[in-house]
Amino acid sequence: MSPDTTIKILVPGPLRSYCDGASELPTSAPSVRAALEQLERSHPTLHRNVCDETGAVRRHINVFVNDSHVRDREGLDTVLVPGDVITILPAVSGG
Amino acid sequence: MPERVILTIGTRKGLFVAEAPKTRRKFSLRGPMGQGVAVYATLIDTRGTPRLYASSCNAFFGMKVLRSTDLGKTFKETKSAPAFPKEDGRALANIWSLEAGPGKKDLWAGVEPASLFRSADGGDSWELVPGISNHEHARKWQPGAGGLCMHTILRDGNRVHLGISTGGHYLSEDGGATFRASNQGVGAGFSPDPYPEFGQCVHKIAGHKDAPGRFYMQNHGGWGEWDGPGGRRPDIGVLRSDDHGRSWRSIAKGLPSDFGFPIVVHPHDADTVYVVPLEPMTRTCPGGIPAVWRSEDGGGSWRRLVRGLPKKDSFFTVLRDAMDADELKSPALYFGTTTGQLWIGRDGGEQWDCLFDSLPPINCVKVAVV
Repeated sequence: MSPDTTIKILVPGPLRSYCDGASELPTSAPSVRAALEQLERSHPTLHRNVCDETGAVRRHINVFVNDSHVRDREGLDTVLVPGDVITILPAVSGG
Repeated sequence: MPERVILTIGTRKGLFVAEAPKTRRKFSLRGPMGQGVAVYATLIDTRGTPRLYASSCNAFFGMKVLRSTDLGKTFKETKSAPAFPKEDGRALANIWSLEAGPGKKDLWAGVEPASLFRSADGGDSWELVPGISNHEHARKWQPGAGGLCMHTILRDGNRVHLGISTGGHYLSEDGGATFRASNQGVGAGFSPDPYPEFGQCVHKIAGHKDAPGRFYMQNHGGWGEWDGPGGRRPDIGVLRSDDHGRSWRSIAKGLPSDFGFPIVVHPHDADTVYVVPLEPMTRTCPGGIPAVWRSEDGGGSWRRLVRGLPKKDSFFTVLRDAMDADELKSPALYFGTTTGQLWIGRDGGEQWDCLFDSLPPINCVKVAVV
């Protein structure tokens, strides 16, 4: 069986209503930044939940590529390769 | 359907809606709505079929505007929330006020960082109001402890009054196209100049439809013992204007403290005004004894209203939007506390009862008869 070469964005449950219930979205973007820009064009309301109007990822949202937080790689400039999985997760919080 | 009293209660954990017949003997409660997210502003829009609006300050996913067309049984997000243009560089942090605008479906939203947005379609789309949001002072305003918020929007004919903490009072006389700082007589305790052109920490402004041009302001008081540059600044906390907000004078004499957050005018008498004085350092009830104070002569004298309220050991805060009055013949006041109690003051505040004792901390309370 050939490996999965698509790049996926995993959408957390609370945000699936902004993309017709999809739990994952495909992308061919070369970087995380490009993937978010693509998301802004294809699903602007979903994007607004992840990024504020300046384009910055919201403070309490974490973005991972595979198992790595993007801050531990190249941030939004982290390069994507076929098979990568971008996971968007709300940060843990209490109170 | 018979008229009923509807209360919207914005809390740290979402929105609650309480409902009662006009007798107001017993209120039923529904909620929390809005995914347990903090709500700082609500609006009961009684133009046409009543609509309820609430801001929803989602720490993870950003601001939403919620709308209900069934008196708060269900809420849905509007199609968009206010947002700054991308090139502006500011990002929406909160919505502090929602008010009906001049047109049938017009809404205005005062936000953090302090700016004004307008919607012409009931909250589905929003545009920045540049006359205040891009005012030459806007980048000089500083946040108070609660954030840099535009918390008050009052329309008075073609005039628009805005309250900004900390920016002061801004007045438009051309329907909101242009604004100017209008703070003559509004003091500040935290600047070397006791009466700066702008930058005051205005907490709330209230007016009355039967007294055009008259406004009451709860300003950031508590500077009576100040010993820094410029000296003591007593009684700058509770103010009145009789000239459309061009100038202001103190009406704080007789109050136990000139610090507080809300200020509410009696719905049928523009001379009757209510405040909740707080101890300025802790921002809680002085001596642990809560009291609403009422003036029936436009601030000339004040009377303490305590019947039914706790007599000791109560150190709560009533926030700027957490007090309102209904418009029934004998109006009741309502206030919510940071300790999660919702109180009703029947007969204009003569007799207080606790409607709900254990809600989450309350940010805002609005009431309407629909």
